[in-house]
Amino acid sequence: MEPPTPPLPITDALTEPFWAGARAGRLVIQRCRGCGLYIHLPRPVCRRCQSDDLGHEEVSGRGTVYSFTETRKAFHPFFVERVPYLVAVIDLEEQPGLHLLSNLVRVAEPDVRFNMAVRVAFEELSPELTIPVFEPVPA
Amino acid sequence: MSGRRVAIVGVGYSKVGRHSGLSERHHAAQAALAALADAGLSVTDVDGATTWGGDAIDFAHMLGISPLRWHLNVGVSPAFISPAVHAALAVAAGHSEVCMAWRIMMQQPSSAALAAGGVTLGAPSMSDTQFAYPFGDFSPTQWAGLLMNRYLHETDATEEHFAEFAVTQRGYAALNDDALQREPLTVEGFLDAPYISKPLRLLDCDYPCDSGSAVIFTTEERARDLRQPAVLVEASALSAIHNMSFETLPDMVRTSPAHCAEVLWSRTDLTPADVDCAQLYDGFSFITFQWLEALGLCPPGMAGPFVAAGETRLGGAMPTNTDGGACNVGRRHGANFCIEATRQLRGHCGPRQVAGAEVAVWANAVGPFSGAMLLTRG
Repeated sequence: MEPPTPPLPITDALTEPFWAGARAGRLVIQRCRGCGLYIHLPRPVCRRCQSDDLGHEEVSGRGTVYSFTETRKAFHPFFVERVPYLVAVIDLEEQPGLHLLSNLVRVAEPDVRFNMAVRVAFEELSPELTIPVFEPVPA
Repeated sequence: MSGRRVAIVGVGYSKVGRHSGLSERHHAAQAALAALADAGLSVTDVDGATTWGGDAIDFAHMLGISPLRWHLNVGVSPAFISPAVHAALAVAAGHSEVCMAWRIMMQQPSSAALAAGGVTLGAPSMSDTQFAYPFGDFSPTQWAGLLMNRYLHETDATEEHFAEFAVTQRGYAALNDDALQREPLTVEGFLDAPYISKPLRLLDCDYPCDSGSAVIFTTEERARDLRQPAVLVEASALSAIHNMSFETLPDMVRTSPAHCAEVLWSRTDLTPADVDCAQLYDGFSFITFQWLEALGLCPPGMAGPFVAAGETRLGGAMPTNTDGGACNVGRRHGANFCIEATRQLRGHCGPRQVAGAEVAVWANAVGPFSGAMLLTRG
């Protein structure tokens, strides 16, 4: 039997830069050229200045753990063999409240701390899909 | 609420159950007929219909409610409060004399069925799932785990407080013939149940089922002539502060209920001290905790100790979720809290009656969006 495949993002012009960036090993977030606001999730207009002049920029990949949860149940065939795994919200350093949903890797759940420093890494789930994940910054 | 004074005059449930085998239309018909019988109204009295789940126009036609002067199908929104508020507003504005509000909720596939493939959970919002699914984030239990964990981090609450909450709710359920889960529960029993998305345990979640709920709104004047003691809508509020990505909320502890409560209290001369019982959404247990704090029914960050001290039990400072909550009566998506608030203000709750209840608040949802309604005995 074929191994299960990961859920693939169905991208469009607004979201493709995030996924193309991940395949290239870069964390790319949408940003307003008018006022500089980072926007995630990507949108066709800036909620702060209403500009539609929006681009995408690589960010540092540094942030802190805002919240996390250890998923114990699988809700999709691809993740059956991966439970338990850590789903986390990363507070990216570029802007207060700029939150990105991701996974924590190379750390066990009891060792995760709120606000701990993390940095981006990349995990290839399939030839088509690489996701940005986060790991603790070594002390 | 500006315009005409509005009353709740009829409430009803369908035959609620686990994979009931009934369609949305069955649940809508059963709930509507129960609500009409409760009110002493007939289908010819009804001229307005709102729903989340199914189609209000279809339900009305099926029941012989025709013609409609007001109708609305609500999309993704803060549970039952949305069709309820829009029904109440239609009556207040004179667009409807008697308006039926439904919430029809069909049970989602189990995690086992999802893990086996072939079925998926309904996608919440346009293309945004691409920023969740590839990371293994599919289920509301996962954003709930994130919000609950941050709540535990920022407040005085502990996992044991959530156990006390579940035990308290089960105690109410034992006094409610409508509840699906009524067997005794202990703190140990709660803590022994598996984590779904740690720190969220199985019994932090509401109980999946098929359900139909219906509530009938009309004018205060008309309510005086009907079968039940009138229950009046004192104030209501809807709130939204973010898109439907719970995971990217900038603040997971002070979410939409905090804003919603501000709006609600700005629309009434009543205050939190006037409230006799609270019926607060418990799709996940921490949601009730957020509401207790948001509404000012306990101090900020103190819902856990408040619950553990027994303040939400009968005889406590704020009897809360007196029907047993959706954890025990089943997932009626907030409609049970409207119906229980109404029954408390009628004085019809038997062994779980809050003595002399004159003011009740019920509230739905959390995170991006929410709504609340303040009711008084007529």
